[in-house]
Amino acid sequence: MIRAAAVVAGLVASVAIAEACEPPSGFTPRGRLESAGVVVLFRTLPPVIALGRHFSVEAVVCGDGTPPALTRVDARMPEHRHGMNYRPTLASKGGGRYVADGLMFHMPGRWELSFDVEGGGRRTRLATDVVID
Amino acid sequence: MVLAAIVGATAIAAALGLGEGDVRRLTAHGPWPQSPARDPSNAASGNAAAIALGHRLFFDPRLSVNGAVACATCHVPERGWTDGRARAVGLTQVERNTPTILDVALHRWFSWDGKADSLWSQSLKPIVDPREMGASAAHVAKLVRSDAALACLHAKAFGAPRDRAAVEPERALVHAGKALAAFMETVRSGRAPFDDFRDALARGDAEAAARYPAAARRGATLFLKSDCHVCHIGPAFTNGEFHDVGVPFALGGGRVDAGRFEGVKRVRADRFNLLGPWNDDRSGVAAVKTRHVEATHASFGQFKTPSLRNLLHTAPYMHDGRYATLREVVRHYSELDMERIHTHGEQLLRPLKLSPSEIDDLVAFLESLTDPTAARMPARPSISGC
Ligand code: HEC
Ligand code: HEC
Ligand SMILES: [Cu+2]
Repeated sequence: MIRAAAVVAGLVASVAIAEACEPPSGFTPRGRLESAGVVVLFRTLPPVIALGRHFSVEAVVCGDGTPPALTRVDARMPEHRHGMNYRPTLASKGGGRYVADGLMFHMPGRWELSFDVEGGGRRTRLATDVVID
Repeated sequence: MVLAAIVGATAIAAALGLGEGDVRRLTAHGPWPQSPARDPSNAASGNAAAIALGHRLFFDPRLSVNGAVACATCHVPERGWTDGRARAVGLTQVERNTPTILDVALHRWFSWDGKADSLWSQSLKPIVDPREMGASAAHVAKLVRSDAALACLHAKAFGAPRDRAAVEPERALVHAGKALAAFMETVRSGRAPFDDFRDALARGDAEAAARYPAAARRGATLFLKSDCHVCHIGPAFTNGEFHDVGVPFALGGGRVDAGRFEGVKRVRADRFNLLGPWNDDRSGVAAVKTRHVEATHASFGQFKTPSLRNLLHTAPYMHDGRYATLREVVRHYSELDMERIHTHGEQLLRPLKLSPSEIDDLVAFLESLTDPTAARMPARPSISGC
């Protein structure tokens, strides 16, 4: 569904991607990231990320032309110069939808949650801050 | 309601000379005690017969190959479930310090390097480790079969096998581990002086909070200001993960203790891990950590963040027991040798350069996290019919 919408939008006008990337029904995004014609909508499961608890990230990816692929979801604490102690596994659910399992934030502070997206011979990293109290 | 609480927190902070946010952060180190949830990976968790069996096994030296070493040889209740030695001694010398098993059910990984992903799989390891108890699965099966009381409790806890002789050795070993774990889940510490202070802060009761000694209160602020709580977080004062705080990991003779780096490899290769056939959790939730855990070069020389509760019972300190007193530990953080911290490592620590009176305060705070009654022999549970 989403992929079809993105492709159509791509044909009409690539600038319209932002509007064309709609969340599937029942998917209320926690955040929307956009860069270089790529849009990532994401939410977490559970919705509130708790310190020291594993969580999953669900993402919807759209972009210009051929639908881009999400290749990696990861997180780091830039100030502390370390990543997570767990490597998330990423599964494609079709239609530009993905689920990353096994993330865990083990320290309070600022985490940078990142999404690597590949398409049309380009790799784009979109990132957002999550502050754990 | 909300406004009243905020005013309360500000007022109590001002009354006690605490900084902004300190009340909230100190309150996050409670409430205590916590009640650990049942372990879904262990069907015997919480089972009275299993707890009774685990209690007997824990104190039974016949579990070792020569009948001389029990779990309680190293985890001595009256010593806060440790042995008072720098490094443990079983059948031979062990390279690490014996950690307490008080509140151990709250941990995510077990051992200093997290080589076990469940309390029950951790419990099997010393039984078969040649340095600790040197026994085997067959030895455990024979012991449980030949002792009437153990056999009776085993049958009650795990269901009577039709033919007692048919309990295969590996199953008997796993059952012993699960019974030991069920017992250790009941080994918990109670309230420390800090907990009364913490609860007073949470209620906004300045008068009760003021009963906490001033030195410990200053130490508590210093603990937050020094970012100790980044790793020593939550009610048990640990994030349950692994860090390098500059404790040397050379063992002598050119060998090193690689800590978490080896621990991850071992837990992933462990036949008794949560991805293996003996995990009782069918939902897959308990095994998420094991499925995703990863060693990186930063894991080299990292050790598990210990709980800071009950430290007065558990000297000496650190994974190799190198420090006899809390003052030495605090001095370690005060004078931190940055050269020692692995270059791939995270950047969290800096030498604190504390004054002697600040060291006193931090020590007073750490001492206030001890339940004075935690180092005692628990009553032996009895199960009717066994
Ligand atoms: C020779 C002394 C010795 C004996 C005997 C011994 N332990 Fe330990 N125990 C240790 C040491 C040392 C460690 C830390 C191991 C490591 O980091 O590699 C430990 C770790 C543990 C832990 C993990 C604690 C934590 O915080 O991660 C548990 C649980 C435990 N032992 C239970 C037992 C049980 C149950 C037995 C009997 C079956 C037993 N131990 C026998 C010395 C001993
Ligand atoms: C980066 C995470 C981290 C920070 C920050 C940190 N610690 Fe630790 N702490 C650890 C780890 C890991 C160990 C075990 C190290 C080892 O044995 O090699 C430890 C050990 C200890 C111990 C010994 C406990 C025992 O049972 O052996 C004490 C006491 C302690 N820390 C207090 C503090 C204080 C006080 C501060 C702040 C000045 C602090 N820690 C900051 C991670 C941390
Ligand atoms: Cu960090």
